[in-house]
Amino acid sequence: MKILEKALLIEILKGLALTLRKMLFARPVTIQYYDKVRPVPAPGFRGRHALVRDENTGDTLCIACLRCVKVCPSRCINIEYETDPETKKRKIIKYEIEALRCVYCGYCEEVCPVNAIVLTEYYEYIGFKREDLFFDKERLLKNWDEFIVTQKRPYLNPFWKPRGIPEKFLPAKKRQFTGV
Amino acid sequence: MLEKLIYFLITAVILLVIALLHVAYLTYAERKIIARMQQRLGPNRVGPRGLLQPIADMLKLLTKEDLVPYGVDKPIFYIAPFISLVCAGTGVALIPLWEKFVISNINVGLLFILALSSLSAYGVILSGWASNSRYAFLGGLRASAQVISYEIAMSLALLSVVLMAGSLNLMDIVKAQINSPYKIYLIPQIIAFYVFIISAIAECNRVPFDLPEAETELVAGYFVEYSAMRFAIFYLAEYFGMVVMSALAVTCFLGGWVGPFEVPYVPFFWFLIKLYFLLFVYIWVRATLPRYRYDQLMGLGWKVLIPVGIINLFLTALLKLIF
Repeated sequence: MKILEKALLIEILKGLALTLRKMLFARPVTIQYYDKVRPVPAPGFRGRHALVRDENTGDTLCIACLRCVKVCPSRCINIEYETDPETKKRKIIKYEIEALRCVYCGYCEEVCPVNAIVLTEYYEYIGFKREDLFFDKERLLKNWDEFIVTQKRPYLNPFWKPRGIPEKFLPAKKRQFTGV
Repeated sequence: MLEKLIYFLITAVILLVIALLHVAYLTYAERKIIARMQQRLGPNRVGPRGLLQPIADMLKLLTKEDLVPYGVDKPIFYIAPFISLVCAGTGVALIPLWEKFVISNINVGLLFILALSSLSAYGVILSGWASNSRYAFLGGLRASAQVISYEIAMSLALLSVVLMAGSLNLMDIVKAQINSPYKIYLIPQIIAFYVFIISAIAECNRVPFDLPEAETELVAGYFVEYSAMRFAIFYLAEYFGMVVMSALAVTCFLGGWVGPFEVPYVPFFWFLIKLYFLLFVYIWVRATLPRYRYDQLMGLGWKVLIPVGIINLFLTALLKLIF
């Protein structure tokens, strides 16, 4: 019996029937990204970095507390600041993110007391040189402008109010934040 | 005399062009069918539904650099792909496509095709030998052993057909089939057909017998070191081999150009339908089966196909003697 089964190629014919069935009745599972399908990322997708532009001053919200620099596991943020001698307020002169080193953990946006830094939901970005993915302050603000026109206002990133931390432990500005 | 020569040349050129087109679009069909069987889309970028893909591939291969690695045996390295292609492609000339269309109707047609398909192994062996590469060398060795063992099984299968038809001329074989009670030799010679199809797949180095070019083991086997047009010629030779083997199967087992009813104005209709079906089977098998182990391959050839072929030949001879 077994020899007959082998000689008539029963197993092989079963396999052939399977592939034929797949060819005739199964739909291709290929996702034709970019041409036909453009997935919309879920809210809180951690994509390209941006510095939130303050609508009133037209500048960043950053107060140069350096918390993002300290929390960053891959140390890709570099900040230089100067202190105003009269008001003792800090003001950033340089804010640089090396996106190629970033691991997109989102700690910086969770820790920021004023919600100045954000990982936007924009993900289709590329660079032909390393410098293209080295974001300085101007570039980060521009990233924000490019991102925010595609969004509904007010925009509130889920990572700005991190889950698991009771609201009362958040800094005042983060607590009162309702979106930009 | 001159008229005959011109007629011959024109038909030869037409047949060559048609055969090349078939080979080119066979690669497209293969990619598309396998893709569908694996629930993918296959080529769909060049032209509508990717129909111009073979042409784009050809242009790409033509414009590539012809690399010659260090330490190769140059004359043999250069000539090996052409041996492969010529031996694989010449068989087309002998196939009777229609009652009134065959380029060279020679009396030893079948023997000639068998000889050519054996010779095409030379291309493989020489390229493997001349490449000065271990992968290519192993591929060539495997190819020679495989082709030699399966050649015997295939010849035995075809010999029973020759016994039944009483001729080596392919035209006469088809005519004998038409006059036979079943119209095709597939029914009385089903065992021979079984042996023939399996050994034809092995002869063309196709999956599941693609050990000479096993991608996972030998990168690409005997043509690892080839690039550009020479590589393309090996590729062409492989697909030409498929076409010739399928055409041979159609001629010897499936009754050539004859069909259940006449199709007006398209004399090649039934021949092409049968040919396409067999080519589809090649592709279908490739999409389904994994590769055999080398000892299984040899065992199948020597312990199963050749004894079965001999028994079938013996039975055919006996029946022929009785009736």
